[in-house]
Amino acid sequence: MQETFIGLVSENRGILYKICRMYGATEPDRQDLFQEIVIQLWRSYPAFRGDARFSTWLYRIALNTAISDLRKQRRRPASIDPDLLPNQLQDIQYSSEKEEQLQQLYSAIDRLTELEKALTMLYLEDKSYQEMEEILGISQNNLRVKMNRIKDKLRKMTKEAVYGIG
Amino acid sequence: MELDNLKAIWKEQEPLQDLQPDMQQLLQKKSRGHIARMRRNVRIEALVMLLSYIPCIILYLVWFDGRLWYLSLMMSLILVVYWIYFLKKDRLLKKMQCVTCEVRSNLTRQVRILDKYLRFYLWTTTLVITISWFVAYMAIRYSLHLKGIPIPQWLEPLLIVLVIPGSIGLHYLNKRYFNKLYGREAQKLRDLLREMDEG
Repeated sequence: MQETFIGLVSENRGILYKICRMYGATEPDRQDLFQEIVIQLWRSYPAFRGDARFSTWLYRIALNTAISDLRKQRRRPASIDPDLLPNQLQDIQYSSEKEEQLQQLYSAIDRLTELEKALTMLYLEDKSYQEMEEILGISQNNLRVKMNRIKDKLRKMTKEAVYGIG
Repeated sequence: MELDNLKAIWKEQEPLQDLQPDMQQLLQKKSRGHIARMRRNVRIEALVMLLSYIPCIILYLVWFDGRLWYLSLMMSLILVVYWIYFLKKDRLLKKMQCVTCEVRSNLTRQVRILDKYLRFYLWTTTLVITISWFVAYMAIRYSLHLKGIPIPQWLEPLLIVLVIPGSIGLHYLNKRYFNKLYGREAQKLRDLLREMDEG
């Protein structure tokens, strides 16, 4: 069972990385959150019967853990000086224009509320409103209203980042 | 950036190198989530209580040819009350989270049970401490009676004067303390739930 579980989690590792990057303010926070999500997944795995898709089940557990975690998070650094980062991380984050854009996207996401972050994550992962409802438990009509508001916010914030407004 | 661009950037991102731990090792670790830690604290409290009370109960039974048996009985009663209190706290904490549920229903459950937990924690702490004072008074009274010393008339009024304001004061102190401990987090959960329900 352990091997099957590790296989399934490894296949969906990308989702976990993204959630940790979204909700973790600092590197130790992300590592703690990753560990906590994996532990919660492992504990819940024996009861997983496949009624829901594995990814839906995984999103629920990961978002529940990330959103309702009451631990005091360390403060996210206001700005990151690339020279202070380890070489490996520098290469990942600043190696390309795309990475810079990704940093801008994360900076914008960072200004969203916990719930908005979850919605943004599901939107960027191309989840349908029905799947979002299954994961979050919010009605599709309400989700549409919220999503439109978040899209506007994201557009505005990423434009501010590109043109230096705001 | 347009939203479609954002999606493309999002999907192409590389996993962070420092988030690739050994999964086998990770599965052996204990949860460090807030509920797991609260449950661990309750168990430690219960264990400390057990380890400090049981030797006293045994000693009072054995010492002085068992003449202090009533102290032993009273401590056993307090221990039973505390034990029920710890069990109830642990049961509430166990039910507090449902990570496999929809996020909204998990939050609703957390808010409801956290409120219940805090109410229970507050009232039982006040009540158990008040009962402990009363039990201590009964022990003193019984001890005086055994020694044939008349019970001073001022003892009961003194008890009332000390216990009533003491319990009320303690209740408010506990309330402030619990609010400091959990208030901000409980409010955060309530705000999150309100945000979910707003259209």
